[in-house]
Amino acid sequence: MRLTVAWVAVVLALGLAWGDRALEVVTPLASAGPGWETPLGRDHLGRDVLARLVVGAWSFVAPGALACAAALGLGVPVGAAAGWFGGLVATAQRALTASVESVPTLALVCLGAAIFGPTPLVLGALAGLAWAPRVAEAVRARLESLRQAELVLALEAHGVPPWRVLGHHLLWVGCRGLLARQALTLFAAVLTLETTLSYLGDLGVAEPTPSWGNMLSFEWGIDGNPWAAAAPALTLWAACAALAWLNEPEARRG
Amino acid sequence: MGASAMSVGRGGRLAFAALRRVVAAVGSVLGATLLLQALVGLAPGDAADLAANDPALRDALSAAWGLDEPLLTRWSRFVLGALGGDLGESLTVRPGASVWSLITAAAGRSSGLVAAALALGLGLALPLGFGGARARRLTLVFSAAPVFLALYAVMTGLNEGAWALIEAGKMERPGWFALPDADSGLRWALGACALAWGSSSLAELQAATADELTRLRRAPFVLAAQARGEPAWPVALRSLLPPLSEVAASQVAVTLGGLIVVERALQLNGAGSLFWQACRLRDLPLACGLAAAAALVVAGARLTSDLTRLWLDPRLREAP
Repeated sequence: MRLTVAWVAVVLALGLAWGDRALEVVTPLASAGPGWETPLGRDHLGRDVLARLVVGAWSFVAPGALACAAALGLGVPVGAAAGWFGGLVATAQRALTASVESVPTLALVCLGAAIFGPTPLVLGALAGLAWAPRVAEAVRARLESLRQAELVLALEAHGVPPWRVLGHHLLWVGCRGLLARQALTLFAAVLTLETTLSYLGDLGVAEPTPSWGNMLSFEWGIDGNPWAAAAPALTLWAACAALAWLNEPEARRG
Repeated sequence: MGASAMSVGRGGRLAFAALRRVVAAVGSVLGATLLLQALVGLAPGDAADLAANDPALRDALSAAWGLDEPLLTRWSRFVLGALGGDLGESLTVRPGASVWSLITAAAGRSSGLVAAALALGLGLALPLGFGGARARRLTLVFSAAPVFLALYAVMTGLNEGAWALIEAGKMERPGWFALPDADSGLRWALGACALAWGSSSLAELQAATADELTRLRRAPFVLAAQARGEPAWPVALRSLLPPLSEVAASQVAVTLGGLIVVERALQLNGAGSLFWQACRLRDLPLACGLAAAAALVVAGARLTSDLTRLWLDPRLREAP
Protein backbone atom coordinates (compact mmCIF):
# COMPACT_ATOMS: atom_id res chain seq x y z
CA MET A 1 0.00 0.00 0.00
CA ARG A 2 2.81 2.41 0.93
CA LEU A 3 4.58 1.56 -2.32
CA THR A 4 1.41 2.38 -4.28
CA VAL A 5 1.01 5.72 -2.48
CA ALA A 6 4.69 6.57 -3.13
CA TRP A 7 4.31 5.62 -6.80
CA VAL A 8 1.22 7.81 -7.20
CA ALA A 9 3.01 10.70 -5.42
CA VAL A 10 5.98 10.43 -7.80
CA VAL A 11 3.66 10.45 -10.84
CA LEU A 12 1.79 13.50 -9.55
CA ALA A 13 5.05 15.34 -8.76
CA LEU A 14 6.30 14.57 -12.27
CA GLY A 15 2.98 15.90 -13.57
CA LEU A 16 3.72 19.24 -11.92
CA ALA A 17 7.28 19.30 -13.26
CA TRP A 18 6.46 18.28 -16.85
CA GLY A 19 3.78 20.90 -17.56
CA ASP A 20 5.76 22.60 -20.37
CA ARG A 21 7.10 19.35 -21.77
CA ALA A 22 3.55 18.05 -22.26
CA LEU A 23 2.60 21.08 -24.35
CA GLU A 24 5.77 21.32 -26.49
CA VAL A 25 4.87 20.78 -30.18
CA VAL A 26 7.64 19.27 -32.35
CA THR A 27 5.98 18.96 -35.76
CA PRO A 28 8.89 17.25 -37.57
CA LEU A 29 8.67 14.37 -35.06
CA ALA A 30 4.86 13.95 -35.39
CA SER A 31 3.67 10.38 -34.60
CA ALA A 32 7.27 9.24 -33.95
CA GLY A 33 7.54 5.85 -32.25
CA PRO A 34 9.01 5.15 -28.80
CA GLY A 35 12.63 6.12 -28.20
CA TRP A 36 15.04 7.00 -25.36
CA GLU A 37 13.78 10.56 -24.96
CA THR A 38 10.11 9.69 -25.34
CA PRO A 39 9.48 6.12 -24.09
CA LEU A 40 5.88 6.14 -25.41
CA GLY A 41 6.65 8.10 -28.58
CA ARG A 42 4.92 11.27 -29.76
CA ASP A 43 1.35 12.16 -30.80
CA HIS A 44 0.46 13.53 -34.21
CA LEU A 45 1.56 17.02 -33.21
CA GLY A 46 4.91 15.69 -32.03
CA ARG A 47 4.15 16.05 -28.29
CA ASP A 48 5.61 13.63 -25.74
CA VAL A 49 2.92 11.01 -24.98
CA LEU A 50 4.39 9.98 -21.60
CA ALA A 51 4.59 13.61 -20.42
CA ARG A 52 0.98 14.19 -21.50
CA LEU A 53 -0.13 11.00 -19.77
CA VAL A 54 1.53 12.03 -16.49
CA VAL A 55 0.34 15.66 -16.63
CA GLY A 56 -3.14 14.45 -17.68
CA ALA A 57 -3.50 12.66 -14.32
CA TRP A 58 -3.95 16.08 -12.67
CA SER A 59 -7.10 16.65 -14.73
CA PHE A 60 -8.99 14.16 -12.55
CA VAL A 61 -6.90 14.13 -9.36
CA ALA A 62 -7.65 17.78 -8.52
CA PRO A 63 -11.43 17.60 -9.11
CA GLY A 64 -11.48 14.15 -7.49
CA ALA A 65 -9.92 15.49 -4.30
CA LEU A 66 -12.30 18.47 -4.31
CA ALA A 67 -15.30 16.18 -4.85
CA CYS A 68 -14.26 13.93 -1.94
CA ALA A 69 -13.81 16.94 0.35
CA ALA A 70 -17.21 18.37 -0.65
CA ALA A 71 -19.06 15.05 -0.40
CA LEU A 72 -17.59 14.14 3.00
CA GLY A 73 -17.83 17.72 4.32
CA LEU A 74 -21.54 17.92 3.49
CA GLY A 75 -22.60 14.28 3.73
CA VAL A 76 -21.08 13.33 7.09
CA PRO A 77 -22.76 16.07 9.20
CA VAL A 78 -26.13 15.53 7.51
CA GLY A 79 -25.90 11.74 7.85
CA ALA A 80 -24.70 12.03 11.46
CA ALA A 81 -27.63 14.31 12.35
CA ALA A 82 -30.10 11.96 10.63
CA GLY A 83 -28.64 8.88 12.31
CA TRP A 84 -28.39 10.47 15.75
CA PHE A 85 -31.72 12.31 15.93
CA GLY A 86 -33.79 10.06 13.62
CA GLY A 87 -37.46 10.99 13.10
CA LEU A 88 -38.11 13.98 10.88
CA VAL A 89 -34.41 14.72 10.33
CA ALA A 90 -33.88 11.20 8.97
CA THR A 91 -37.01 11.46 6.80
CA ALA A 92 -35.81 14.77 5.35
CA GLN A 93 -32.36 13.31 4.70
CA ARG A 94 -33.86 10.31 2.91
CA ALA A 95 -36.06 12.56 0.76
CA LEU A 96 -33.05 14.72 -0.15
CA THR A 97 -31.03 11.63 -1.10
CA ALA A 98 -33.85 10.25 -3.26
CA SER A 99 -34.23 13.62 -5.04
CA VAL A 100 -30.55 14.07 -5.84
CA GLU A 101 -30.08 10.42 -6.85
CA SER A 102 -32.98 10.72 -9.31
CA VAL A 103 -30.89 12.89 -11.62
CA PRO A 104 -28.06 10.92 -13.29
CA THR A 105 -24.72 12.31 -12.07
CA LEU A 106 -23.38 12.73 -15.62
CA ALA A 107 -26.47 14.75 -16.58
CA LEU A 108 -26.06 16.96 -13.51
CA VAL A 109 -22.38 17.55 -14.27
CA CYS A 110 -23.09 18.29 -17.97
CA LEU A 111 -25.79 20.78 -17.01
CA GLY A 112 -23.46 22.37 -14.47
CA ALA A 113 -20.69 22.61 -17.06
CA ALA A 114 -23.14 24.29 -19.47
CA ILE A 115 -24.18 26.82 -16.83
CA PHE A 116 -20.94 27.52 -14.97
CA GLY A 117 -18.38 26.56 -17.60
CA PRO A 118 -16.39 23.33 -18.02
CA THR A 119 -13.74 23.82 -15.33
CA PRO A 120 -12.21 21.26 -12.94
CA LEU A 121 -13.66 23.27 -10.04
CA VAL A 122 -17.21 22.89 -11.41
CA LEU A 123 -16.70 19.18 -12.10
CA GLY A 124 -15.32 18.53 -8.60
CA ALA A 125 -17.93 20.65 -6.81
CA LEU A 126 -20.91 19.17 -8.69
CA ALA A 127 -19.68 15.59 -8.36
CA GLY A 128 -19.19 16.23 -4.64
CA LEU A 129 -22.67 17.73 -4.30
CA ALA A 130 -24.22 14.84 -6.22
CA TRP A 131 -22.40 12.31 -4.02
CA ALA A 132 -22.95 13.99 -0.62
CA PRO A 133 -26.48 12.52 -0.15
CA ARG A 134 -25.09 9.01 -0.75
CA VAL A 135 -22.47 9.60 1.93
CA ALA A 136 -25.20 10.93 4.24
CA GLU A 137 -27.35 7.87 3.56
CA ALA A 138 -24.47 5.48 4.27
CA VAL A 139 -23.55 7.30 7.51
CA ARG A 140 -27.19 7.37 8.67
CA ALA A 141 -27.65 3.66 8.01
CA ARG A 142 -24.43 2.82 9.90
CA LEU A 143 -25.29 5.08 12.85
CA GLU A 144 -28.80 3.66 13.11
CA SER A 145 -27.32 0.20 13.54
CA LEU A 146 -24.52 1.34 15.89
CA ARG A 147 -26.78 3.57 17.99
CA GLN A 148 -28.36 0.56 19.70
CA ALA A 149 -25.06 -1.28 20.23
CA GLU A 150 -24.21 -2.28 23.80
CA LEU A 151 -20.98 -0.30 23.62
CA VAL A 152 -22.89 2.94 23.01
CA LEU A 153 -25.37 2.22 25.80
CA ALA A 154 -22.43 1.49 28.12
CA LEU A 155 -20.65 4.70 27.12
CA GLU A 156 -23.80 6.72 27.81
CA ALA A 157 -24.27 4.95 31.12
CA HIS A 158 -20.70 5.88 32.06
CA GLY A 159 -21.47 9.53 31.44
CA VAL A 160 -19.40 9.97 28.27
CA PRO A 161 -20.68 13.17 26.63
CA PRO A 162 -22.92 12.62 23.56
CA TRP A 163 -20.64 14.67 21.27
CA ARG A 164 -17.76 12.34 22.10
CA VAL A 165 -19.86 9.22 21.59
CA LEU A 166 -21.00 10.54 18.20
CA GLY A 167 -17.77 12.16 17.03
CA HIS A 168 -15.22 9.63 18.23
CA HIS A 169 -16.87 6.28 18.87
CA LEU A 170 -19.57 6.30 16.19
CA LEU A 171 -18.15 8.44 13.37
CA TRP A 172 -14.38 8.04 13.69
CA VAL A 173 -14.18 4.44 14.90
CA GLY A 174 -17.44 3.13 13.43
CA CYS A 175 -17.57 4.89 10.08
CA ARG A 176 -14.03 5.65 8.93
CA GLY A 177 -13.73 2.46 6.83
CA LEU A 178 -17.11 3.18 5.28
CA LEU A 179 -16.09 6.77 4.52
CA ALA A 180 -12.81 5.67 2.95
CA ARG A 181 -14.78 3.34 0.70
CA GLN A 182 -17.22 6.08 -0.23
CA ALA A 183 -14.31 8.43 -1.04
CA LEU A 184 -12.67 5.79 -3.21
CA THR A 185 -15.92 5.14 -5.09
CA LEU A 186 -16.40 8.86 -5.65
CA PHE A 187 -12.82 9.27 -6.84
CA ALA A 188 -13.36 6.48 -9.38
CA ALA A 189 -16.61 8.16 -10.47
CA VAL A 190 -14.81 11.49 -10.99
CA LEU A 191 -12.11 9.73 -13.02
CA THR A 192 -14.83 8.26 -15.26
CA LEU A 193 -16.74 11.56 -15.46
CA GLU A 194 -13.70 13.67 -16.32
CA THR A 195 -12.30 11.35 -18.96
CA THR A 196 -15.77 10.84 -20.47
CA LEU A 197 -16.45 14.57 -20.79
CA SER A 198 -12.96 15.22 -22.18
CA TYR A 199 -13.37 12.38 -24.70
CA LEU A 200 -16.74 13.64 -25.89
CA GLY A 201 -15.38 17.20 -26.15
CA ASP A 202 -16.90 20.65 -25.51
CA LEU A 203 -17.76 20.12 -21.83
CA GLY A 204 -14.49 18.57 -20.63
CA VAL A 205 -10.79 19.43 -20.54
CA ALA A 206 -10.00 21.10 -23.86
CA GLU A 207 -6.85 20.78 -25.97
CA PRO A 208 -3.99 21.58 -25.55
CA THR A 209 -4.35 20.79 -21.81
CA PRO A 210 -3.90 17.02 -21.58
CA SER A 211 -6.48 14.62 -20.18
CA TRP A 212 -6.58 10.86 -20.77
CA GLY A 213 -9.99 11.35 -22.41
CA ASN A 214 -8.99 14.06 -24.87
CA MET A 215 -5.74 12.20 -25.69
CA LEU A 216 -7.84 9.28 -26.90
CA SER A 217 -10.25 11.46 -28.80
CA PHE A 218 -7.39 13.42 -30.42
CA GLU A 219 -5.79 10.25 -31.81
CA TRP A 220 -9.02 8.66 -33.11
CA GLY A 221 -8.50 7.23 -36.61
CA ILE A 222 -4.90 8.46 -36.93
CA ASP A 223 -2.23 6.01 -38.06
CA GLY A 224 1.33 6.37 -36.81
CA ASN A 225 2.39 5.80 -33.22
CA PRO A 226 -0.10 3.26 -31.77
CA TRP A 227 1.01 4.11 -28.23
CA ALA A 228 -0.42 7.61 -28.55
CA ALA A 229 -3.91 6.09 -28.18
CA ALA A 230 -3.08 2.75 -26.52
CA ALA A 231 -1.19 4.32 -23.58
CA PRO A 232 -4.06 6.50 -22.28
CA ALA A 233 -6.60 3.73 -23.01
CA LEU A 234 -4.66 1.07 -21.08
CA THR A 235 -3.76 3.46 -18.24
CA LEU A 236 -7.36 4.54 -17.84
CA TRP A 237 -8.65 0.97 -17.83
CA ALA A 238 -5.94 -0.09 -15.36
CA ALA A 239 -6.72 2.86 -13.06
CA CYS A 240 -10.49 2.12 -13.13
CA ALA A 241 -9.90 -1.59 -12.54
CA ALA A 242 -7.47 -0.88 -9.68
CA LEU A 243 -9.92 1.47 -7.97
CA ALA A 244 -12.76 -1.06 -8.39
CA TRP A 245 -10.50 -3.81 -7.04
CA LEU A 246 -9.46 -1.75 -4.00
CA ASN A 247 -13.09 -1.04 -3.28
CA GLU A 248 -14.27 -4.62 -3.47
CA PRO A 249 -12.93 -6.59 -0.50
CA GLU A 250 -15.20 -9.54 -1.36
CA ALA A 251 -13.51 -9.99 -4.74
CA ARG A 252 -10.02 -9.61 -3.24
CA ARG A 253 -10.75 -12.28 -0.66
CA GLY A 254 -12.09 -14.53 -3.42
CA MET B 1 -65.78 -13.84 8.39
CA GLY B 2 -62.46 -13.83 10.23
CA ALA B 3 -60.57 -14.80 7.10
CA SER B 4 -62.32 -12.03 5.16
CA ALA B 5 -61.39 -9.39 7.78
CA MET B 6 -57.82 -10.62 7.78
CA SER B 7 -57.75 -10.41 3.97
CA VAL B 8 -59.11 -6.84 4.06
CA GLY B 9 -56.50 -5.95 6.68
CA ARG B 10 -53.69 -7.35 4.55
CA GLY B 11 -55.04 -5.59 1.45
CA GLY B 12 -55.36 -2.32 3.37
CA ARG B 13 -51.80 -2.55 4.68
CA LEU B 14 -50.54 -3.29 1.18
CA ALA B 15 -52.46 -0.32 -0.26
CA PHE B 16 -51.20 2.00 2.49
CA ALA B 17 -47.59 0.87 2.05
CA ALA B 18 -47.89 1.28 -1.75
CA LEU B 19 -49.39 4.76 -1.32
CA ARG B 20 -46.47 5.78 0.90
CA ARG B 21 -44.02 4.71 -1.79
CA VAL B 22 -45.95 6.53 -4.53
CA VAL B 23 -45.87 9.71 -2.43
CA ALA B 24 -42.11 9.26 -1.86
CA ALA B 25 -41.51 8.79 -5.61
CA VAL B 26 -43.53 11.91 -6.50
CA GLY B 27 -41.64 13.81 -3.80
CA SER B 28 -38.28 12.73 -5.20
CA VAL B 29 -39.24 13.93 -8.71
CA LEU B 30 -40.43 17.27 -7.29
CA GLY B 31 -37.19 17.56 -5.30
CA ALA B 32 -35.12 16.81 -8.40
CA THR B 33 -36.91 19.51 -10.42
CA LEU B 34 -36.36 21.96 -7.57
CA LEU B 35 -32.65 21.10 -7.62
CA LEU B 36 -32.49 21.69 -11.39
CA GLN B 37 -34.27 25.03 -11.11
CA ALA B 38 -31.94 26.05 -8.28
CA LEU B 39 -28.95 25.19 -10.48
CA VAL B 40 -30.27 27.39 -13.30
CA GLY B 41 -30.90 30.18 -10.78
CA LEU B 42 -27.29 30.00 -9.59
CA ALA B 43 -25.92 30.76 -13.08
CA PRO B 44 -23.31 33.53 -12.92
CA GLY B 45 -25.00 36.82 -13.80
CA ASP B 46 -28.22 35.50 -15.23
CA ALA B 47 -29.10 32.21 -16.96
CA ALA B 48 -30.41 34.29 -19.90
CA ASP B 49 -26.89 35.78 -20.32
CA LEU B 50 -25.67 32.31 -21.27
CA ALA B 51 -28.14 32.00 -24.10
CA ALA B 52 -28.30 35.44 -25.73
CA ASN B 53 -26.10 38.43 -26.43
CA ASP B 54 -28.91 40.71 -27.59
CA PRO B 55 -30.18 42.75 -24.56
CA ALA B 56 -33.78 42.70 -25.80
CA LEU B 57 -33.75 38.92 -26.22
CA ARG B 58 -32.05 38.56 -22.83
CA ASP B 59 -34.83 40.53 -21.15
CA ALA B 60 -37.47 38.50 -22.97
CA LEU B 61 -35.82 35.23 -21.87
CA SER B 62 -35.49 36.44 -18.28
CA ALA B 63 -39.19 37.24 -18.26
CA ALA B 64 -40.16 33.94 -19.93
CA TRP B 65 -38.08 31.87 -17.51
CA GLY B 66 -39.14 33.97 -14.52
CA LEU B 67 -35.53 34.54 -13.50
CA ASP B 68 -36.48 37.61 -11.47
CA GLU B 69 -39.01 35.60 -9.49
CA PRO B 70 -38.24 33.64 -6.31
CA LEU B 71 -37.06 30.06 -6.79
CA LEU B 72 -40.27 28.50 -5.46
CA THR B 73 -42.45 30.55 -7.85
CA ARG B 74 -40.27 29.60 -10.81
CA TRP B 75 -40.25 25.96 -9.74
CA SER B 76 -44.02 25.78 -9.27
CA ARG B 77 -44.46 27.33 -12.74
CA PHE B 78 -42.15 24.68 -14.19
CA VAL B 79 -44.02 21.84 -12.45
CA LEU B 80 -47.46 23.14 -13.47
CA GLY B 81 -46.22 23.61 -17.03
CA ALA B 82 -44.83 20.05 -17.08
CA LEU B 83 -48.15 18.68 -15.83
CA GLY B 84 -49.87 20.47 -18.71
CA GLY B 85 -47.33 19.27 -21.28
CA ASP B 86 -45.70 22.69 -21.62
CA LEU B 87 -41.97 22.95 -20.87
CA GLY B 88 -41.35 26.00 -23.01
CA GLU B 89 -39.52 26.30 -26.31
CA SER B 90 -36.09 25.21 -27.40
CA LEU B 91 -33.69 28.14 -27.83
CA THR B 92 -30.71 26.92 -29.78
CA VAL B 93 -30.97 23.22 -30.61
CA ARG B 94 -34.29 23.48 -32.57
CA PRO B 95 -35.21 27.16 -32.11
CA GLY B 96 -38.92 27.61 -31.47
CA ALA B 97 -39.74 23.88 -31.23
CA SER B 98 -41.73 22.67 -28.23
CA VAL B 99 -39.44 21.15 -25.60
CA TRP B 100 -42.17 18.69 -24.66
CA SER B 101 -42.50 17.31 -28.21
CA LEU B 102 -38.71 17.12 -28.62
CA ILE B 103 -38.40 15.14 -25.38
CA THR B 104 -41.24 12.71 -26.15
CA ALA B 105 -39.88 12.01 -29.66
CA ALA B 106 -36.30 11.49 -28.40
CA ALA B 107 -37.44 9.37 -25.44
CA GLY B 108 -39.26 7.05 -27.83
CA ARG B 109 -36.07 6.54 -29.83
CA SER B 110 -33.93 5.88 -26.74
CA SER B 111 -36.28 3.73 -24.67
CA GLY B 112 -35.49 0.57 -26.64
CA LEU B 113 -31.77 1.03 -26.10
CA VAL B 114 -32.18 1.51 -22.34
CA ALA B 115 -34.54 -1.47 -22.03
CA ALA B 116 -32.21 -3.68 -24.09
CA ALA B 117 -29.18 -2.65 -21.99
CA LEU B 118 -30.98 -3.40 -18.69
CA ALA B 119 -32.31 -6.73 -19.98
CA LEU B 120 -28.87 -7.68 -21.27
CA GLY B 121 -27.23 -6.71 -17.97
CA LEU B 122 -29.67 -8.82 -15.95
CA GLY B 123 -29.44 -11.67 -18.46
CA LEU B 124 -25.65 -11.75 -18.15
CA ALA B 125 -25.57 -11.16 -14.38
CA LEU B 126 -27.67 -14.22 -13.56
CA PRO B 127 -25.37 -16.88 -15.12
CA LEU B 128 -22.29 -14.93 -13.98
CA GLY B 129 -23.74 -14.93 -10.46
CA PHE B 130 -23.40 -18.71 -10.42
CA GLY B 131 -19.78 -18.41 -11.56
CA GLY B 132 -18.19 -17.99 -8.14
CA ALA B 133 -15.23 -15.86 -7.10
CA ARG B 134 -13.29 -16.11 -10.36
CA ALA B 135 -16.25 -14.85 -12.41
CA ARG B 136 -16.69 -12.05 -9.88
CA ARG B 137 -13.07 -10.94 -10.16
CA LEU B 138 -13.04 -11.10 -13.97
CA THR B 139 -16.30 -9.16 -14.26
CA LEU B 140 -15.03 -6.57 -11.78
CA VAL B 141 -11.83 -5.93 -13.72
CA PHE B 142 -13.25 -5.98 -17.26
CA SER B 143 -16.46 -4.13 -16.50
CA ALA B 144 -14.54 -1.30 -14.78
CA ALA B 145 -13.73 0.37 -18.12
CA PRO B 146 -15.83 3.50 -18.69
CA VAL B 147 -18.57 3.14 -21.33
CA PHE B 148 -16.75 5.39 -23.82
CA LEU B 149 -13.52 3.39 -23.45
CA ALA B 150 -15.32 0.08 -24.05
CA LEU B 151 -16.88 1.59 -27.18
CA TYR B 152 -13.54 3.05 -28.29
CA ALA B 153 -11.80 -0.32 -27.95
CA VAL B 154 -14.54 -2.27 -29.76
CA MET B 155 -14.95 0.27 -32.58
CA THR B 156 -11.18 0.49 -33.12
CA GLY B 157 -10.87 -3.30 -33.14
CA LEU B 158 -13.76 -3.75 -35.60
CA ASN B 159 -12.60 -0.95 -37.93
CA GLU B 160 -8.96 -2.06 -37.98
CA GLY B 161 -9.85 -5.75 -38.37
CA ALA B 162 -12.31 -5.07 -41.20
CA TRP B 163 -9.84 -2.75 -42.94
CA ALA B 164 -7.09 -5.38 -42.77
CA LEU B 165 -9.42 -8.02 -44.27
CA ILE B 166 -10.65 -5.63 -46.99
CA GLU B 167 -7.06 -4.71 -47.92
CA ALA B 168 -6.09 -8.39 -48.05
CA GLY B 169 -9.06 -9.03 -50.39
CA LYS B 170 -10.65 -11.49 -47.97
CA MET B 171 -13.80 -9.47 -47.35
CA GLU B 172 -16.08 -7.07 -49.18
CA ARG B 173 -16.64 -3.72 -47.50
CA PRO B 174 -19.36 -4.46 -44.90
CA GLY B 175 -22.41 -2.21 -44.55
CA TRP B 176 -21.41 -1.02 -41.08
CA PHE B 177 -17.88 0.07 -42.11
CA ALA B 178 -16.53 2.40 -40.84
CA LEU B 179 -17.92 2.84 -37.33
CA PRO B 180 -19.45 5.10 -36.12
CA ASP B 181 -20.13 7.03 -39.36
CA ALA B 182 -22.02 4.34 -41.32
CA ASP B 183 -25.67 3.95 -40.37
CA SER B 184 -26.29 0.34 -39.27
CA GLY B 185 -27.96 -1.79 -36.63
CA LEU B 186 -24.52 -2.72 -35.31
CA ARG B 187 -24.16 0.73 -33.74
CA TRP B 188 -27.36 0.18 -31.77
CA ALA B 189 -26.26 -3.31 -30.67
CA LEU B 190 -22.84 -2.00 -29.63
CA GLY B 191 -24.54 0.77 -27.67
CA ALA B 192 -26.72 -1.70 -25.76
CA CYS B 193 -23.71 -3.94 -24.99
CA ALA B 194 -21.55 -1.00 -23.83
CA LEU B 195 -24.35 0.31 -21.58
CA ALA B 196 -24.86 -3.14 -20.04
CA TRP B 197 -21.15 -3.80 -19.66
CA GLY B 198 -19.25 -0.57 -18.99
CA SER B 199 -18.64 1.69 -15.99
CA SER B 200 -18.95 -1.30 -13.58
CA SER B 201 -22.66 -1.77 -14.38
CA LEU B 202 -22.31 -5.48 -15.01
CA ALA B 203 -19.97 -5.92 -12.01
CA GLU B 204 -22.58 -4.39 -9.68
CA LEU B 205 -25.39 -6.53 -11.05
CA GLN B 206 -23.22 -9.64 -10.93
CA ALA B 207 -22.04 -8.98 -7.36
CA ALA B 208 -25.61 -8.40 -6.16
CA THR B 209 -26.82 -11.57 -7.88
CA ALA B 210 -23.94 -13.64 -6.48
CA ASP B 211 -24.53 -12.32 -2.94
CA GLU B 212 -28.25 -13.12 -3.12
CA LEU B 213 -27.57 -16.60 -4.50
CA THR B 214 -25.12 -17.26 -1.65
CA ARG B 215 -27.71 -16.06 0.88
CA LEU B 216 -30.41 -18.21 -0.70
CA ARG B 217 -28.25 -21.33 -0.75
CA ARG B 218 -27.98 -21.06 3.05
CA ALA B 219 -31.58 -20.01 3.65
CA PRO B 220 -33.49 -22.34 5.99
CA PHE B 221 -36.39 -22.85 3.54
CA VAL B 222 -33.96 -23.94 0.79
CA LEU B 223 -32.13 -26.31 3.15
CA ALA B 224 -35.46 -27.70 4.39
CA ALA B 225 -36.69 -28.27 0.82
CA GLN B 226 -33.41 -29.97 -0.07
CA ALA B 227 -33.66 -32.20 3.02
CA ARG B 228 -37.15 -33.25 1.93
CA GLY B 229 -35.85 -33.93 -1.58
CA GLU B 230 -38.08 -31.25 -3.12
CA PRO B 231 -36.93 -28.74 -5.76
CA ALA B 232 -36.04 -25.52 -3.94
CA TRP B 233 -35.20 -23.36 -6.95
CA PRO B 234 -38.73 -22.25 -7.94
CA VAL B 235 -39.11 -20.59 -4.53
CA ALA B 236 -35.49 -19.46 -4.49
CA LEU B 237 -35.83 -17.74 -7.86
CA ARG B 238 -38.99 -16.00 -6.64
CA SER B 239 -36.98 -14.78 -3.63
CA LEU B 240 -34.28 -13.57 -5.97
CA LEU B 241 -36.67 -11.27 -7.80
CA PRO B 242 -37.10 -8.51 -5.15
CA PRO B 243 -33.36 -7.86 -4.57
CA LEU B 244 -32.65 -8.09 -8.31
CA SER B 245 -35.39 -5.61 -9.11
CA GLU B 246 -33.86 -3.25 -6.53
CA VAL B 247 -30.40 -3.51 -8.11
CA ALA B 248 -31.82 -3.13 -11.63
CA ALA B 249 -33.70 0.00 -10.53
CA SER B 250 -30.50 1.44 -9.04
CA GLN B 251 -28.82 0.84 -12.42
CA VAL B 252 -31.40 2.89 -14.32
CA ALA B 253 -29.78 6.22 -13.37
CA VAL B 254 -26.34 4.90 -14.39
CA THR B 255 -27.77 3.60 -17.69
CA LEU B 256 -29.44 6.93 -18.46
CA GLY B 257 -26.13 8.71 -17.78
CA GLY B 258 -24.38 6.22 -20.05
CA LEU B 259 -26.99 6.88 -22.74
CA ILE B 260 -25.54 10.38 -23.18
CA VAL B 261 -22.11 8.85 -23.86
CA VAL B 262 -23.31 6.03 -26.11
CA GLU B 263 -25.54 8.17 -28.31
CA ARG B 264 -22.91 10.87 -28.65
CA ALA B 265 -20.02 8.45 -29.37
CA LEU B 266 -22.04 6.31 -31.81
CA GLN B 267 -23.84 9.28 -33.39
CA LEU B 268 -27.25 7.83 -32.53
CA ASN B 269 -30.25 10.10 -32.50
CA GLY B 270 -32.03 10.00 -29.14
CA ALA B 271 -32.56 11.61 -25.76
CA GLY B 272 -28.88 11.28 -24.75
CA SER B 273 -27.50 13.04 -27.82
CA LEU B 274 -30.26 15.67 -27.56
CA PHE B 275 -29.25 16.36 -23.95
CA TRP B 276 -25.61 16.65 -24.97
CA GLN B 277 -26.48 19.11 -27.72
CA ALA B 278 -28.67 21.10 -25.34
CA CYS B 279 -25.80 21.41 -22.83
CA ARG B 280 -23.24 22.21 -25.51
CA LEU B 281 -25.44 24.93 -27.04
CA ARG B 282 -26.69 26.08 -23.61
CA ASP B 283 -30.31 25.39 -24.43
CA LEU B 284 -31.32 25.44 -20.76
CA PRO B 285 -35.10 24.80 -21.13
CA LEU B 286 -34.39 21.68 -23.18
CA ALA B 287 -31.55 20.49 -20.93
CA CYS B 288 -33.62 21.02 -17.76
CA GLY B 289 -36.63 19.32 -19.35
CA LEU B 290 -34.57 16.28 -20.32
CA ALA B 291 -32.93 16.07 -16.88
CA ALA B 292 -36.38 16.27 -15.26
CA ALA B 293 -37.60 13.51 -17.59
CA ALA B 294 -34.62 11.38 -16.55
CA ALA B 295 -35.51 11.99 -12.90
CA LEU B 296 -39.07 10.86 -13.64
CA VAL B 297 -37.84 7.65 -15.27
CA VAL B 298 -35.45 6.90 -12.39
CA ALA B 299 -38.15 7.54 -9.78
CA GLY B 300 -40.58 5.41 -11.80
CA ALA B 301 -38.11 2.53 -11.94
CA ARG B 302 -37.47 2.80 -8.21
CA LEU B 303 -41.21 2.84 -7.51
CA THR B 304 -41.78 -0.22 -9.71
CA SER B 305 -39.02 -2.04 -7.84
CA ASP B 306 -40.45 -0.99 -4.46
CA LEU B 307 -43.93 -2.14 -5.40
CA THR B 308 -42.55 -5.46 -6.67
CA ARG B 309 -40.71 -6.01 -3.40
CA LEU B 310 -43.79 -4.99 -1.44
CA TRP B 311 -45.92 -7.46 -3.37
CA LEU B 312 -43.48 -10.33 -2.93
CA ASP B 313 -42.13 -9.66 0.58
CA PRO B 314 -44.84 -9.52 3.28
CA ARG B 315 -42.34 -8.28 5.91
CA LEU B 316 -42.11 -4.92 4.13
CA ARG B 317 -45.87 -4.35 4.47
CA GLU B 318 -45.60 -4.59 8.24
CA ALA B 319 -42.57 -2.25 8.44
CA PRO B 320 -43.26 1.11 10.07
